Amino acid sequence: MTDSTPPEEATEDEVVLALEGVSRVYGTEVLVRALDDVSLEIRAGDFLSIVGPSGSGKSTMLGLLGVLDLPTEGTIRVRGTDVTRLADAERSRLRGEAIGFVFQQFHLIPHLTALGNVETALLYRGLSPKDRRSRAMHALEQVDLGARHDHRPVQMSGGEQQRVAIARAISTDPGVVLADEPTGALDSRNAENVLQIFDDLQSPERAVCIVTHDLHVADSARRKISMLDGRIVADELLGAGTRVGS
Amino acid sequence: MRRFRELVGVATAGLTARKVRTLLIMLGPILGVSAIVAAIGINESSKGHLKAKLQELGTDLIVVNASAGLGFGQDPVIEAAAVARVGRLPDVVAVTGTRQLSDIVTVPFAGAEDYYRAFPVPVIATGTDLPNTMEVSLVSGRFLNDFDEASGARVAVIGRDLADEYGYLAGEARTIELNGLEYGVIGVLDWVLLEPSMDSAVFLTFTAAVADWDLDDPDPSRLYVRAPEHTALVAKEIPTVVSLGGPDGANASVPTDLLDAQSQVDESLNNLTKMMGGLALIVGGVGIANVMSISVIQRSSEIGIRRALGHSRGTIAVQFLFEALVVGVFGGILGALVGAGVVWGVAAQRGYTMVLSVAGLVGWSLVSVGVAVVAGLYPSSKAARLEPLETLRLG
Repeated sequence: MTDSTPPEEATEDEVVLALEGVSRVYGTEVLVRALDDVSLEIRAGDFLSIVGPSGSGKSTMLGLLGVLDLPTEGTIRVRGTDVTRLADAERSRLRGEAIGFVFQQFHLIPHLTALGNVETALLYRGLSPKDRRSRAMHALEQVDLGARHDHRPVQMSGGEQQRVAIARAISTDPGVVLADEPTGALDSRNAENVLQIFDDLQSPERAVCIVTHDLHVADSARRKISMLDGRIVADELLGAGTRVGS
Repeated sequence: MRRFRELVGVATAGLTARKVRTLLIMLGPILGVSAIVAAIGINESSKGHLKAKLQELGTDLIVVNASAGLGFGQDPVIEAAAVARVGRLPDVVAVTGTRQLSDIVTVPFAGAEDYYRAFPVPVIATGTDLPNTMEVSLVSGRFLNDFDEASGARVAVIGRDLADEYGYLAGEARTIELNGLEYGVIGVLDWVLLEPSMDSAVFLTFTAAVADWDLDDPDPSRLYVRAPEHTALVAKEIPTVVSLGGPDGANASVPTDLLDAQSQVDESLNNLTKMMGGLALIVGGVGIANVMSISVIQRSSEIGIRRALGHSRGTIAVQFLFEALVVGVFGGILGALVGAGVVWGVAAQRGYTMVLSVAGLVGWSLVSVGVAVVAGLYPSSKAARLEPLETLRLG
């Protein structure tokens, strides 16, 4: 991966992520079509949730949206760039710049402090140690954990660990934050906190996409995509608004 | 450069977070390098010690032993006239004949007969220029001289170890008893490095030996010859000069040749130790590959999250290679230090001068780095090939 300049911020309504006729088939002898000819656009300012029962293909879709996997058919575009044609180094660079991840199990690196975990997302970008630290600290402050920056994951509660993970996801100022069951491992109070943070994270320049099977979480978004058997069966706008600024 | 520093930082953080495991990984290079450095260092120091000893002893002393002639039943001797003939050879600067006497019990003080009968002290009849030929000085007193030789006086010189054993004080007027005859001790000969048996011997003149000890003639059984030039050639000539074609023979040898040969043999020993150390390093390398492969499995979640954060396969591979590199560098340095410490300890204990090649220390440390990096190739490529989706367990 090469050092790169910070990504340009997305402008409102710009398509930050797009799946075009994407299918994903697993297996060699017994074929499992986990995703079947799916098209989806995520625009800056979107706050959407992807719901569906187990096996509906939502995790496969998250992997493809996050460019952690490649489709068997179809195209994935990140800010207009077809990532299926890129080499691993370039694809990784684009992923690091444009997409932030939040996982159900937090996936913090245990031997690093909260600050070290956030800084991991900012490595190999040509930043000076001082800049890297300052950006990581700023992200931690955004989730109210500035005072806990020197704590290791084991010294923090589940809710705090998830907030560190969110700080890590937003530290690179990505165009889209993808969250996989972000409240799945939290109690209800911490879950509410985390959902509130996601709500606050949403801005005209950034999209937030939550994959969940929890309808309450899904309904906290403004756009809900329902999946079944590897296909999108509904794409509906919720509540009064659609996107911030619209 | 910034990227390099970041990679080193990540690798170091990964290693320091698991100190026991890191130490276990490092044990391979540490043991390998220290084994090689210690083995070669001890060998070189010992070789250096031998060479220093050779320098000290000189390589120009020839020892001539009488070999059996026709006189069956008698100890072989070299006739006294042959001693003078050897002394006239062009390159010979000194020659002394000696003969060890048998069946003499030396008793330093009353009541010690039984002990010294069981452990007899060698009694040697010698020419008067022995210190000159052996290039040894006297610790105290004087050596036997021409007057002693001519008069057959009952005087003796003793070796330094014997003097210590007897508790002899310098200048002390003292006698020792040889089969009941009192001999006055007139001097103590210093250590004779080439002939350690002399250190605990009693020396007396041939005249006294013939007079007191039933010796038929003053013929020596051994000659010590000093020939600084053409030593080997002189050694080759001496048997002919001694026998003059007659039946009495002699064998000449240069004792330092043996030491010289000893110092040469070390090369093959060196190669053997290098091979053993190399083997230890390879085993260490296998250990690194093994432990790091397990580490990759244990850290799969970390690898997955780093991939999700934008680190490419290449970056992940280089990160793990750097961990191996750091292990190799520190393992090599520690191994070299441990090895040097062992050489120092052994050299101090055996009285050697420590010989350590800095190029060797650096070289073997670099070999350790090379082995570690090669050993890290498999685990790092394994880490790079991990699919983030499989390690992150989405949904």
